[in-house]
Amino acid sequence: MRRYLAAAGAVIVLGGAVAGCGSSGNGNGGTSPAAAAPCSKAGIQKLLHTKGQLTVATDDPAYSPWFINNTPSNGKGYESAVAYAIAAKLGFSKSQVTWVHEPFSSSYAPGPKAFDFDINEVSVTSARAQAVTFSNSYYPVQQAIVARKGTPIVTKHSPAQLKTYQYGDQVGTTGLAFITGHIQPSKTPKVFNTLAEASAALEAGRIDALVTDTPTAQYMAGSQLKHPPGVLVAQFPSVGEHFGLVFAKGNKLVTCVNKAIASLQADGKLTALQKQYLGIYLHFPTIKP
Amino acid sequence: MDPNSPMSPGQPAGSFTGMGRGPGLFSSYSGARATTISTISTIAVLAALAAVFLLAPGARSVEHAFFNPTDMWQSFIGNPKKGYYSVGAAIWLNIRMFLVAEVLILVLALLVALIRQSVGPALFPIRILATGYVDFFRGVPLILVIFAFGLGVPALSLPVISSQPDVVYGVAALVLSYSAYVSEVYRAGLNSVHQSQVSAARSLGLSQGTALRYVVLPQAVRNIIPPLLNDFISLQKDTALVGTLGVIEANKAADIYSETVFNFSSFTVAAILFLILTIPLARFTDRLIERDRRRRLAGATR
Repeated sequence: MRRYLAAAGAVIVLGGAVAGCGSSGNGNGGTSPAAAAPCSKAGIQKLLHTKGQLTVATDDPAYSPWFINNTPSNGKGYESAVAYAIAAKLGFSKSQVTWVHEPFSSSYAPGPKAFDFDINEVSVTSARAQAVTFSNSYYPVQQAIVARKGTPIVTKHSPAQLKTYQYGDQVGTTGLAFITGHIQPSKTPKVFNTLAEASAALEAGRIDALVTDTPTAQYMAGSQLKHPPGVLVAQFPSVGEHFGLVFAKGNKLVTCVNKAIASLQADGKLTALQKQYLGIYLHFPTIKP
Repeated sequence: MDPNSPMSPGQPAGSFTGMGRGPGLFSSYSGARATTISTISTIAVLAALAAVFLLAPGARSVEHAFFNPTDMWQSFIGNPKKGYYSVGAAIWLNIRMFLVAEVLILVLALLVALIRQSVGPALFPIRILATGYVDFFRGVPLILVIFAFGLGVPALSLPVISSQPDVVYGVAALVLSYSAYVSEVYRAGLNSVHQSQVSAARSLGLSQGTALRYVVLPQAVRNIIPPLLNDFISLQKDTALVGTLGVIEANKAADIYSETVFNFSSFTVAAILFLILTIPLARFTDRLIERDRRRRLAGATR
């Protein structure tokens, strides 16, 4: 969804997070093993926004399948489940996790943050990493095309044909950057403030297609767009894009969270959650932009 | 009137005390002394503001987030390959929207005002409609009108009307909303012309319409130029709301840049561009107000 293309340079190395490396994973964001001591239960307490609680932020509305029923605290949906799994690894019980509402555009504003980390389908890029600190990847993401059933783009999507359509997307999204950077259509895309407005424009026929991450695209095509029905046309090849948790610039808690992510990767928990919440979304034809 | 008011002789043209001239409510100084005091006080105020900005604990990060020259330049020139558009090019769309909307508003608002001022019993239903129109569009937030037009009209699937570019719906919404305000400004202007003027014109044999055209309107319009320009300054900025329909105007382009690279300097660029547009109009309005004041007070002050 939102979240810029990592094409040019996703700086955060997947290294430590790749399955198999296990909890030995360090070299994340340049921290040394010596700095590992603060990740003890007592050490973490000093790094928290509110003592005794892990404060996690996301936007409102929180979209499926990342969250279910717009209720982050129910532990359902991929990102909610990942947040609770990380919290558990850090030694927090479910009741010690507090959710706060943080609009995307204020999550990267300067000044003190109102959260420990923000989990909101934010893609990691080198430009963004100058303003905030990102965790390692908790989901590698690909972009996909959503259109109305029976419209030309569903069958005609060669690279040359893709340039001829009217696209639309949510402001600041990876999808928008993919449109302007990779598809490079002849018509200027329409840029909406929310994904809901973009999908309304798609339903109304004001745009031919929108581009968003595959899980969101499949959810829109399968459950959201009804009048007329939507369809996930195809997904684009991976450009190395991935989602990361957003921390205040220089927040040391990221070291501990990266360890938690690496350990979730190693014990198969992340893969299991992807199967549980995103599994049905992962197999679609791949086309070139 | 106080002979030492800022309007008195010796007032240096263009000095700071000259800004926002009016009856001398706050100052009884004049001449060079006033200039010196105003200059010192201006420097002191600006220095205090700058100190707050530069010495605040978070000054560096605010400076980077909002005033970073690299980001300002990048957002100004744009780079679609990296996912963002030029704010500098996008402001041109705001200017065009403003110019088109302004002309249409002047016409439609005058029409509405004249209908509301009409007296003929046969025009009663139209008067009711015009009153309802003004009440409705002055009361509904502009952004809702823009949404209703931009999303509703295309959904009607009418021929021609429903297949216009988004900018057209945005400008239509601006025109309808602003005409409601401006029609009230016109009405105030029409009411400011004394009834005896009409009576005099009619007694000279001018028809109702001719009297309106050559006697009432010229006086009315002269009286309302400052408030009209005030509304248009506001209109220039409100063109940014059309961005909610997916149109990439300056504010939207700045928003795209900001969310793409996590830096707000693009909004600073948009703000500067809007200021460049509105400040000349604001100064022009000041000048007109001053000229009008001088003209009306001619003979009364000295």
